[in-house]
Amino acid sequence: MTIGLQPDLTLDARDLFCPSPVLKAAEQMDKLAPGQVLRVLANDPAAEEDVKRWAKRAGHTLLEFAKEGRQLTFLVRKG
Amino acid sequence: MTDKKKIVYLQTSGIDTPERLYAPFILATTAAAMGQEPIVYFFIKGVTAVKKGEAEKIRIGEFPRLSEVIDQAVQAGVKLMVCEQSCMLLGLDRGDFIESAQVVGAATLNDLVLDADAVISL
Repeated sequence: MTIGLQPDLTLDARDLFCPSPVLKAAEQMDKLAPGQVLRVLANDPAAEEDVKRWAKRAGHTLLEFAKEGRQLTFLVRKG
Repeated sequence: MTDKKKIVYLQTSGIDTPERLYAPFILATTAAAMGQEPIVYFFIKGVTAVKKGEAEKIRIGEFPRLSEVIDQAVQAGVKLMVCEQSCMLLGLDRGDFIESAQVVGAATLNDLVLDADAVISL
């Protein structure tokens, strides 16, 4: 699956384990304005559920999610 | 029928205290039978209970083998979630969990607890 939308910022959180992908995503999100889009790359299996729940709980919107093998890609719009 | 209530069973004890491992599955299976939405979350030593092959080795008194109790829970619709990072804490290899257990982390547990109608720690 290809993610078409262009992100404003990309976080490469690959090879980082819980809770780092979520903490770093939150850190990067602080740099964006509402409506801008953060792309998060991760390969910790825990990140699939964690990043989705973080986004929702923090008031952001998960625009797209793709999983290819262990590789996870999220596109999150800042709320 | 009334709305389903969410119950989170937080399993922190592991295979070194096998007598503490039956309760989460039996309670959660019963909750599912009661039409509720139970989730068992394994962390700290609790993760040892869902490492492949471990539950087959545990049987206490007249109780069935733990693996049978787990299978029964999964069939009843109980969700199993495991904090893989606890393995690192305990010096165990990552992964190698029973297939019915979903690997999740800290954000998920916080979210589950905020959403839950009840949390029971075991």
